Amino acid sequence: MMYKQMKCVKWFALLVLTVCQTMIAVGAEQEGLRQVITMKATNVSLAKAFSMLKQETGFTVFYGNQLINDQERVSFNFSKQPLSSVLDELLKEKSIRYELRRNRVIVLSKANIPSQATRMQQQITGKVSDKNGPVAGISVRVKGTNRGTSTNQEGNFSLQASAGEILVFSGLGYTEKEQTVGSETTIHVLMEEHVQEIDEVVVIGYGTVRKSDLTGSVAQVKAKEVNAFPNANVLQALSGRAPGVQIRQASGAPGPSMSVRIRGGNSIQGSNEPLYVIDGFPIKDSPTQINNSEIESIEILKDASATAIYGSRGANGVVLITTKSGKAGKTKVDFETSFSTQRLLKKLDLMNAREYAQFYNEQATNDGVDPYFTEEQVNAFGEGFDWQDFVFKTAPMSNSSLNISGGNEKTVFSLGGSIFSQDGIIEGSDYKRYSLQTRINHKISDKFRAEFSGTLSKLATYRKDSEKGNRGNSLMSAAISSPPILTPYNDDGSYRVLHTSYPFMATDLRNPINYINEQSNVTKANVALLNASIIYDITPDLFLKVAGGMENRDDRSDGYTTTKFYNSIGSASIKTNQFTSLLNENTLNYSKEFNELHRINAVLGFTYQNFKTTYLTASGTGFLSDDFYTGKLDAADVPGIPTSGYAKSVLLSYLGRVNYTYNDKYLFTASIRRDGSSRYSDGDKWGYFPSAAFAWRAFNEPFIKQISFMSDLKFRASWGLTGSQAIDPYTTLNLLPPGKTIFNDDYAGTFAPSTTLPAPLKWETTEQFDLGLDFGLLNNRLLFSADYYIKNTRDLLSTVSLPSSMGYLRTTKNIGKIQNKGFEFGLDAVALDGPFHWDINANISFNRNKVIKLNEGDDILRDNINMLVVNDATGILREGRPVGQFWGYLEEGYDDTGNIVYKDLSGDGKISDADKTYIGDANPKFIFGLNSTMQYKNFELNLFFQGSYGNDIFNASSISNTMDYGFGLNMPKEVLYDHWSPENTDTKYPKISKNISVRASDRFIEDGSYIRLKNIMLSYRLPVQQLSLSWLQNLQVYVSGQNLWTGTGYSWWDPETNFQVDQNSYPLAKSITFGLRAGF
Amino acid sequence: MQQIKNIFMRTSKSGLTTLNTFTFLLVSCLFFSCQKELEEHPQAVAAEDFYNTAEEVETAVNAIYTPLRMTMFPNYIATLECQSDWLYGRGSWTPLSEFQGLNDANVTRVSGFWNTFYESIRNCNLVIKNAPLGTDISAEDVARYVAEAKFLRAFCYFQLVRNWAGVPLRTENNMLDPDLPKSSVDEIYDFILGDLLEAESKLPPTQADGGRPTVWAAKALLGDVYLQLGQYEQAETKANEVMESGNFSLVKIANKEDFQQKLYGPDIQTTPEEIFAFKYSRLPDQGNYILWISNHPSTKLFSFDGAYAVHGDATNPNYVHWDDADIRKQLWDKINFGLGPNTLVSSKYIDQKAISQVGAGNDQPLYRYAEILLMFAEANCRVNNTVTPEAMEALNRVHRRAYGLDSQVPADIDFAVANYNVTSFIDLIIRERGYEFVYEGKRWLELKRTGKVDELIQYGKAKTVAEKHLLWPIPVSEMNYNKALDPQTDQNPGY
Repeated sequence: MMYKQMKCVKWFALLVLTVCQTMIAVGAEQEGLRQVITMKATNVSLAKAFSMLKQETGFTVFYGNQLINDQERVSFNFSKQPLSSVLDELLKEKSIRYELRRNRVIVLSKANIPSQATRMQQQITGKVSDKNGPVAGISVRVKGTNRGTSTNQEGNFSLQASAGEILVFSGLGYTEKEQTVGSETTIHVLMEEHVQEIDEVVVIGYGTVRKSDLTGSVAQVKAKEVNAFPNANVLQALSGRAPGVQIRQASGAPGPSMSVRIRGGNSIQGSNEPLYVIDGFPIKDSPTQINNSEIESIEILKDASATAIYGSRGANGVVLITTKSGKAGKTKVDFETSFSTQRLLKKLDLMNAREYAQFYNEQATNDGVDPYFTEEQVNAFGEGFDWQDFVFKTAPMSNSSLNISGGNEKTVFSLGGSIFSQDGIIEGSDYKRYSLQTRINHKISDKFRAEFSGTLSKLATYRKDSEKGNRGNSLMSAAISSPPILTPYNDDGSYRVLHTSYPFMATDLRNPINYINEQSNVTKANVALLNASIIYDITPDLFLKVAGGMENRDDRSDGYTTTKFYNSIGSASIKTNQFTSLLNENTLNYSKEFNELHRINAVLGFTYQNFKTTYLTASGTGFLSDDFYTGKLDAADVPGIPTSGYAKSVLLSYLGRVNYTYNDKYLFTASIRRDGSSRYSDGDKWGYFPSAAFAWRAFNEPFIKQISFMSDLKFRASWGLTGSQAIDPYTTLNLLPPGKTIFNDDYAGTFAPSTTLPAPLKWETTEQFDLGLDFGLLNNRLLFSADYYIKNTRDLLSTVSLPSSMGYLRTTKNIGKIQNKGFEFGLDAVALDGPFHWDINANISFNRNKVIKLNEGDDILRDNINMLVVNDATGILREGRPVGQFWGYLEEGYDDTGNIVYKDLSGDGKISDADKTYIGDANPKFIFGLNSTMQYKNFELNLFFQGSYGNDIFNASSISNTMDYGFGLNMPKEVLYDHWSPENTDTKYPKISKNISVRASDRFIEDGSYIRLKNIMLSYRLPVQQLSLSWLQNLQVYVSGQNLWTGTGYSWWDPETNFQVDQNSYPLAKSITFGLRAGF
Repeated sequence: MQQIKNIFMRTSKSGLTTLNTFTFLLVSCLFFSCQKELEEHPQAVAAEDFYNTAEEVETAVNAIYTPLRMTMFPNYIATLECQSDWLYGRGSWTPLSEFQGLNDANVTRVSGFWNTFYESIRNCNLVIKNAPLGTDISAEDVARYVAEAKFLRAFCYFQLVRNWAGVPLRTENNMLDPDLPKSSVDEIYDFILGDLLEAESKLPPTQADGGRPTVWAAKALLGDVYLQLGQYEQAETKANEVMESGNFSLVKIANKEDFQQKLYGPDIQTTPEEIFAFKYSRLPDQGNYILWISNHPSTKLFSFDGAYAVHGDATNPNYVHWDDADIRKQLWDKINFGLGPNTLVSSKYIDQKAISQVGAGNDQPLYRYAEILLMFAEANCRVNNTVTPEAMEALNRVHRRAYGLDSQVPADIDFAVANYNVTSFIDLIIRERGYEFVYEGKRWLELKRTGKVDELIQYGKAKTVAEKHLLWPIPVSEMNYNKALDPQTDQNPGY
């Protein structure tokens, strides 16, 4: 171990040295043309002037010796002048054209000299703006000359030009625009942002890269898509946006938890959620603290070439979130607000009171009991009470945010604040978030820069997710199970006790009013994510970044059940939790271009991150008065035992990556990360995670460039290893958890092992191979990308069952192997251009997964459901079968008494576990997203569809409510109208009798395919310029609808939230939103 | 600010050298701290450093009780009672009362019992193995705690062997060997006797903590095992030793409420009748779950409703022919909850101040003095092959108390020696046990021991018992993962 350690240090040190000593010239990120320069000199050589310029801006000026005499003497005094006008001045009357390249290079070349000297030049002034208002730093050149300038902070420019000359407007992120000078001396130009820019910058781990230089599979989602409709969680906005990424809400409750799978799940034991990195900080869970409006872009790293730099946390993919930062220039103020109303997506078509009484009379008759109701009673019931309407309400949601950004040449900043508030469709549930986001970049000197980004949020959520359950013993189950012949209140206003109202009703059936009014659970959290760094530009090509960051989350949950809750004496509980993660990252970044042919980009680093969690719980039972709530636990008759917990883990990492591009054609990337984690056993704490990738930008080969319709073509291949930290701290230690038992009438302490036997463990390793293709047609009006990947996960942490006579039920071993492979396709198209503009983005992904190896080939039964009439495993992990394989019995119609006949697969004459088989698969055949944006004048119509095809759902919700007869549970109408009777035997449901034998069978497997109109939005942009509202840059109003339409054959509430097993979860809402966006 | 800036400026002049120095410093600092940083320091105790002091070992002994006491034992009792000649299961418990073997729900339920007994056995083995290695514990303490662990290990194996017959014999020596074949029924009983004889010799006559076994508990359990094995002389001896000790007596009862409050009640700490019991308390998750299983909401006798999952029936001949003057008969209420007007719900265990479904204070009797008296009566009769006055007196004491009479004083309702031969006396004892121990989980095992299953199930419930119903299936959690077991030959018949 010591030796290994030594080796790792040497390796690191050697690399550092090599990098330091071989690096020479300039390189850094691009700030563009807008930067303003102050420098003065008298009688210096042009070469010296260029070198001063380089010092000031980081831009190197390239030129051939025959082009220019760089010893020519010049004098100048520039004060806060844009780069372009400085260049214009230095190169004036030299017939030299300059071109700014992204990687801080200015290339000089010969300009064509048109014969224009005779033309009348006049002063042209104008204003350049984009849809958000004036734009500074736009270069304005007279085509074919070296005359040029750039726009100032107000977007204004002025230069000399004669009629008939062409002005060329260009700037970073904008489509170049030309305008011929006519008789007018004032020109207004509206710049358009690049529709599909191939040269965009993409954030990757520990750096950025030009999109065209990407060798890996990285999906980018921009602010506009992220912010398309109001969402409590930014991840909701990613759903359907990127190929290979399956995102769904795990529940319809406000402030929901999200499930994200990038190219399928790799782990059966650990989390399959990706790693989230906000502004470089790898956070613990999902990014709940951040408001969509605070996000600049989200990058999803999918293949190993992109994720291996995150080593032991990269296996499930990495989601990089970049918050908004400011730009030098005029201070921008953006305000957004929206208001939505939400209501239940879909009601179940349940029996009314008359049907209910009729139904249970039939059950009574079938079970040899006298009918519960007389004919007159049945008919008198009528429609009865609608419990779904009682439980689910219309609920508001609002979101407002204000962002202020701007800065000068030394400091840029962005400051955002937002309030998000969502009420749940069940009364008493809500989610609120107040957040502040700040980002400041400051240039201390020509060698040092400082950066800060921070997010402070306060979250508060009241939860009403009494989920799962059966026979009405949870709120969700009670909402559909409660009998329509009964109402929530007795005549005196007190709560009706449902289960004793009639002798046949289930003991567990609770009046939903109990959960709604008399039980509360609120969690409040303060979340801080702070990140600061100092950047030292050692040479123009090389900088050292030392970053320190902290994530801190303090939360407190208060639960209270009042004395009015059925059978309650009042109980209160409080849990406080504190999580802190400290991060230190030290990276060296190098980037350089040689001879316009070779481009190198390298990063080398060492990072340290620790994670500490502590919690404290306290509780009490038996309160004199509900006034105490959770404010006086000491008032409880019976105090609970306080508990507390502590866990700390540490991750130490060395990382390095080199990108090399030759002639913009051949692109290589290699990276390696070495992670050491405290969570694993001695000797297995360290792991290596290398990757390599190659891409061929075939478009830059002359023979491809000749093809007229082709505008881009790139092939990619990558391989790499990533890991997953699937275990919690201390899992490998033989800890003895404390407990309590009773002697006499009092507590006595206990210490004994849990039923999981600890064992030595190491990383799960995922090996991923990816082949990709990107091509663009018709000047990139059509951009297409395709990827094929294979992921093999080995050393899979797998629960290994032990003989229960050991007293241990299971242990964990690195035993299994799992494979995911698939195709994913993305398409961005400009279907129509011109006054009527139509963009289409579509993606589709096919993933197949299967279990390759398990411990000694033993099956693992899982996903147990406990619905009283069915108490069984619904899933199986078996070699050669997918994860998500459903496991159960096959039905073969009914016998002549109306009972279900199950297929006796084992042929032993009885129905037992041996007759269970494959009954379905939870994995979709494919998932897809389709986004269409149509613009005409100031109107924009956006449609966003998202869906899944071919996945099965085990509808456990329907077990109680379609098959558990004899307990007074309400059921869908079809159970009444389509069940077995001697006269009608070909029916969906069996005889209505409490003696029906119900098993986990294919009956409960339903096709979960769906297509959903996730969002539809119509917006109108006010023509503020025409209205001469100088104080207002832009104003957009919109109306939108979420989840308004779903095409599915799924019978229960929702196929999206109920992936795999549907067991009475909080249903999803649909909503209508009105909003406005304004910029000042 | 300016100063800081200057420092930065100065640093920058010697950029590369500074950087190299900095990197080397950083790397060497890391090198020395790396390994330390990756060590885990949980704020918790680990098995490797535990079991050293008497206090530590005691907490390990206490942990043996936890799995047994929780919801497991009440469910175990209820499962056994459903198979008796007295009680009926409702809902998922119904198949038990059909005597045709177990269905899925009950297979799952009994596999939970297996797992739990073995979890307690593991905790026993941890004490038996580790206590003698303790660095800071006296030999007496080791002996006492090991004796307690062995008593409980024997208790668990006694349950296992009677319900599953031969089972894997997990001891302190083979705890971590996954694959372990079944031992024979004889081997299990030999092992149980070995543990109990040691427990009998080392356990103290009284325990400060109510709920821990005493020497008398060991004798009671030994007596029960001997009775099971047909070693009646030893059984009589053990019962007699408990009776002779003078430590125990029957609780005096005047009416139904006395049964509910003074014998089984939630408020009592202990009774002179208690020999061994699991202790429960009105503390969160520390109460007796059997109240939830047995009660009906309409009686309001348990403050958290109850599931009336295991109930009686007034047409059962045992009930029909039960003397109305027997106060124990009043511990049944007729409640029609959809199964007809003859449905009976037990009011043996009640607590109107329970704090939750698992928050009732009633202790769970495991060995009461009444059982010792009946054990003595049976063993004495079988040893002497006649009905002795001592045996009859022992039975009559239990019988008199049930009528609210002084158990020591002969009464009109006494059974007379003259009226009984050995067979009819044994039957009388079995009948008395039925009345006395209903809802205490004794009956089904007693019917199996005495060979009365077919006769009395037919009498009480008019049902035929399938052969396979006599033993529970070895759970999948054992059969699938213990490679020393062969599913063809080692599974109990019929499963």
